Amino acid sequence: MKNRMGKAVLIMMFCAAGLWQVLSVGEAAAGGSGRLIHKKDSLYHRIFVYRDGSVVTLQFGRRPAVPMQSQVNLSNLRQHMLEYTMLSFCGLLYKPEPERMLVLGLGGGVIPREMRYYLAELEIDVAEIDPEIRTIATEFFGFREDDKLKVHIDDGRMFIKKQLGREPTVKYDIVILDAFNGDYIPFHLMTKEFLEEVKGLLAADGVVVANVFYNNRLFDAELKTFLTVFGRCQVFVGGDSTNAMLAAPGPTGPTLTVREAVGRAKILQRKHKLAFDLLTVAKRLRPKTRPAPRAKVLTDDRAPVNWLRAQERRR
Amino acid sequence: MVRAGKWQAVGIILIACICGWFVMELEVLGVRVLAPYFGSAVYVVMGSVIGVFLLSLSAGYMLGGWLSRRANSKRALGINLMAAGGWLCAMPFFTEPVCEGIFNAGLDEKWGSLLAAFVLFGVPTLLLGTVSPTAVRWLTRRASDSGLNAGLVLALSTVASFAGCVVTAFWLVLVSMRLTICVSGAILVALGGTILLVGVSREAQGDRR
Repeated sequence: MKNRMGKAVLIMMFCAAGLWQVLSVGEAAAGGSGRLIHKKDSLYHRIFVYRDGSVVTLQFGRRPAVPMQSQVNLSNLRQHMLEYTMLSFCGLLYKPEPERMLVLGLGGGVIPREMRYYLAELEIDVAEIDPEIRTIATEFFGFREDDKLKVHIDDGRMFIKKQLGREPTVKYDIVILDAFNGDYIPFHLMTKEFLEEVKGLLAADGVVVANVFYNNRLFDAELKTFLTVFGRCQVFVGGDSTNAMLAAPGPTGPTLTVREAVGRAKILQRKHKLAFDLLTVAKRLRPKTRPAPRAKVLTDDRAPVNWLRAQERRR
Repeated sequence: MVRAGKWQAVGIILIACICGWFVMELEVLGVRVLAPYFGSAVYVVMGSVIGVFLLSLSAGYMLGGWLSRRANSKRALGINLMAAGGWLCAMPFFTEPVCEGIFNAGLDEKWGSLLAAFVLFGVPTLLLGTVSPTAVRWLTRRASDSGLNAGLVLALSTVASFAGCVVTAFWLVLVSMRLTICVSGAILVALGGTILLVGVSREAQGDRR
């Protein structure tokens, strides 16, 4: 009897060990980009950091809808590993000499870090909800705060509301919306009411740049919402990725043709000695992109974001 | 087990189920109601909204238990449901001033969202919480049945709560939130009115007999 029990215990232990093995392998494989070097459960996310040689990847959750939040090549920080961080520079085409910039969502900190690197006079505020992300960006992704680049731990919408309440209100030349969770953008950072608050912080000749995915029906709703709030919105469509940048200029900002965008990109490319090709970004401008006719504006009252995101975009 | 008239019993359980549905519908939507003002942080969702609903329900159970001992408990229940429904119908109109006011008072996402959740959802949830104890009392004619009836009401109204959660989160988000809350409120007002009409006239008949 005792013997049999001993065997059962032994078998159970083997099974547990096997299961453990399967689970931990699954964990490493899910990232698909190297070895898991850091794992942290924060208040908001299950954070995974993978490393493959000098390439570090940030991921939320094990099988997230957004495959990679951020990716950095530590041996060449100037290299844009993911297309969207490069596309986010399209804001400079509208406002070539920004003095103040607001970025919602830190991630690996690539966008604020690179903007800070090229534009020495630029003051950047970053609103990031998760304090763990700031720690991880600093520890693993080569991100540094300094006197001109500050991270504020706050929900993006609350940060904007607080900034609006300050006297006098500080206006931003470029606002980059890049707040993502493992799923997509939180709904309260996509609605008409939210964008109206953003508009309140935007300089008259400034521009709002939003990182979105263009392969689903939520894109139409987002574009429609931007058009409703800002009157104008241009789209830079990713080539290697399903990312797109919505660029909505303020009332005195320009509307660009592809030729104008390329012309401006050439000047910026030379002036800042950009290590990537801003011309390819400018050429990704699609001036004719319009939302589907039946797309509806997203509001605080009605924003079926998860549902729309799951629907493929009709062309 | 159930000693009241069969159809009356079905009606009572149905009322408990409808209220169970609305409590969870409101809880799921509550997270969305507060997000524009206080974000969607874990404090708002797990702390404020769920916490306020639990506390308000417990107060409602207590009040409902106390009311169930009174002779005019049916009228009390009808009035409670009408009041809860009226509150929900009016809620879309005072959500913004309440949340803006609390936010501008300088309260953060923790205490601000907790206070806002109390102000917005405390009263209707408390009123909906009074239903279950009253329903148990109505169903029970013999003390030995009380546990069975309590189990029946809790089980079925909780299943309805589950359905309310899933349907709201999966499908009702596709339509206007304000509309959903207003329609729910209107249904509660109608339900409360029906209880007042039917229940109170029965009570009067019972008195005559």
